[in-house]
Amino acid sequence: MKPHETTELNRREFLRGTSATAMMSLLGGVPILAAESTPPATSYKGETPPVKVGVIGCGTWGREILKTLSTISFGPVVAVCDNYPAFLKRGAALAPNAERYGDYTKLLDNRDVEAVVVATPTHLHKDIVLAALAAGKHVYCEAPLATTVEDARAIAAAARKQLKVNFQPGLQVRSDLQIVKLLEFVRTGVLGTPLKGRSQFHRKMSWRVAAATPEREQAMNWRLHRATSIGLVGELGVHHLDLANWFLNGLPTAVMGVGAISFYKDGRDVFDNVQTLLRYPNGTHYSFEATLGNSFDAEMGVFFGTDCAIMMRERRAWMFKEVDAPLLGWEVYAVKESFYKESGIVLRAGATKQDAQKEARKGEDVVDPKSALQYALENFLINSGNLAAGVKDFAESYGEGSDEDLRAYLQDLAKKRANAADALDGYRATVTAIKANEALIKGEPITFAREWFEVS
Amino acid sequence: MTMKAHVISRTTTAILAMALTTATQAADWIKLASKPGSKVRMEGTSSIHDWYAESAIIRGTFEVEPEFLTDKTLQSVKSLTTRETNPKAEIAIPVRSLKSSSGQKMDEIMQEAMNMKEHRDIVFKVKEMALQGEPDAAGNARFETVGDLTVAGKTQPCKLVVALQRLDGERFKFSGETKLKMTDFGITPPSPNIPGMSRITTGDEVTVKFEWLVGTAAPAK
Repeated sequence: MKPHETTELNRREFLRGTSATAMMSLLGGVPILAAESTPPATSYKGETPPVKVGVIGCGTWGREILKTLSTISFGPVVAVCDNYPAFLKRGAALAPNAERYGDYTKLLDNRDVEAVVVATPTHLHKDIVLAALAAGKHVYCEAPLATTVEDARAIAAAARKQLKVNFQPGLQVRSDLQIVKLLEFVRTGVLGTPLKGRSQFHRKMSWRVAAATPEREQAMNWRLHRATSIGLVGELGVHHLDLANWFLNGLPTAVMGVGAISFYKDGRDVFDNVQTLLRYPNGTHYSFEATLGNSFDAEMGVFFGTDCAIMMRERRAWMFKEVDAPLLGWEVYAVKESFYKESGIVLRAGATKQDAQKEARKGEDVVDPKSALQYALENFLINSGNLAAGVKDFAESYGEGSDEDLRAYLQDLAKKRANAADALDGYRATVTAIKANEALIKGEPITFAREWFEVS
Repeated sequence: MTMKAHVISRTTTAILAMALTTATQAADWIKLASKPGSKVRMEGTSSIHDWYAESAIIRGTFEVEPEFLTDKTLQSVKSLTTRETNPKAEIAIPVRSLKSSSGQKMDEIMQEAMNMKEHRDIVFKVKEMALQGEPDAAGNARFETVGDLTVAGKTQPCKLVVALQRLDGERFKFSGETKLKMTDFGITPPSPNIPGMSRITTGDEVTVKFEWLVGTAAPAK
């Protein structure tokens, strides 16, 4: 017998356990009673109704989205679009049955397409999203929504106006079950008094893409120029800043920071080395730093409170308790891992005590097999399908009715929405990132006006 | 005439008579249509916790004499006070509109258990409705109601008390509740086998509560 076939919990068992425990959290509870007589197990699997998708933008991230969609049974890709033929060809290779378009307006004319994913360069989002919403398509728009507050506001306002379509910004962390459960844990007050948070994106990479012609080179390297990019704090930091808004349960009141082109002096005018600091209400603050010149500690984040610190990295989380923090009880049995003079209590959504202890014996890294992007796209498709079905059921039962009646019905329906960021979350994260980038460029602090965060 | 032919003849006459009655009803009865604000809720149990599923969608019409709108005593509304004639009422609840307390996956399991692919709606068809006691001064009343309930394509008779509430001149609320067994409709109560856990079992009995709003304004298309 191979070692992994012993009674030790192997990876496959763990994965099965994960889906079981995820299922349990869906059911909303843990077993407390055994049934008196247990009937045979039923074989209901349940099936999510498909929503046909068009993907606009087949660059690196667009292709990552296509790959992820190919693993989701209820998100058939029926159309792909890119105005650069080489990218369109590569995108189409990942969705062989999809119609190909060089012009997004033609894709939007395709009545077969029910939902679109917009994965073009950020500064090109607005026109595409507005046209898609006007065409009645559900829209998943990559984050940040835009490079200017005006464009971001136009997108969010249009999305909120369209009652009958689902809009989701690409803040995938908001759909990630691991993070959602972690937030629920944080909301129980486990941090004590929240103090601060910090996060980082460290990677050794130029962020520059090679291209065949100077024009193409310019277009593909939109991230490196201020005219088309809000830089590291915008393109990468937006997810971290959104997490700060979400976990700290508020909006920043001020932002300051420093940035420089420290290493890649190749004609770019976007900083490759930044540190930004945000002030939040109630004496809390948050810092985000990013560099393209060093990869130490990669991507991670920590929230600090008077009772503990919670660290997130590689889609896992740990709790480091203060000695005077109240005893929660369960942590006595929990798996702990050592980090240079510190012992972190492993936090994982839905893990049972038995699973955790088996895992401790195994000592293997365990990560949720589903990526944050997969959670986000699945939930986008589920919410889009449910919204469309709700709109149709309402019209068939009550006629077109008034907008207020429909709105009231849909607001009620939205309470059952699968975890996902909404237009306002996307807008606020984008405004936070845009202003953070502006503060870096100006080299001066910016005080946020409350109305900047309001869509209308 | 043989006995058999005689029976057939009597049956034909009865059918003809019923058809004629229906024709006269249709000519002067009013048709009230479903209105937003309707809701239905199913409540059940399981070995881990109670659950519910609810929907705000009830499709259907209620056909009755026009006096129903104005006569709060209902004395002139024969379909509701005698058993000879009955209002014509049929409601349908799309299975997909039912949202459970346990999220999307359980909704999908519920849809599969109710064989939604072949039977998209839960249907209730009123056969008899008879006033119970007297309506109160506001015209609110209760009715002993008998109908056919169809779930997952299987029909069972269903008896319940329905309350009428006159909301305003134009809208009326019918509400009631009844208990059902999933197995009576050929549905096996979901009992998922989840590794690492004791079996979760769902109770067979389900309580259904509804509030159906109907009104006189333009009916659903």
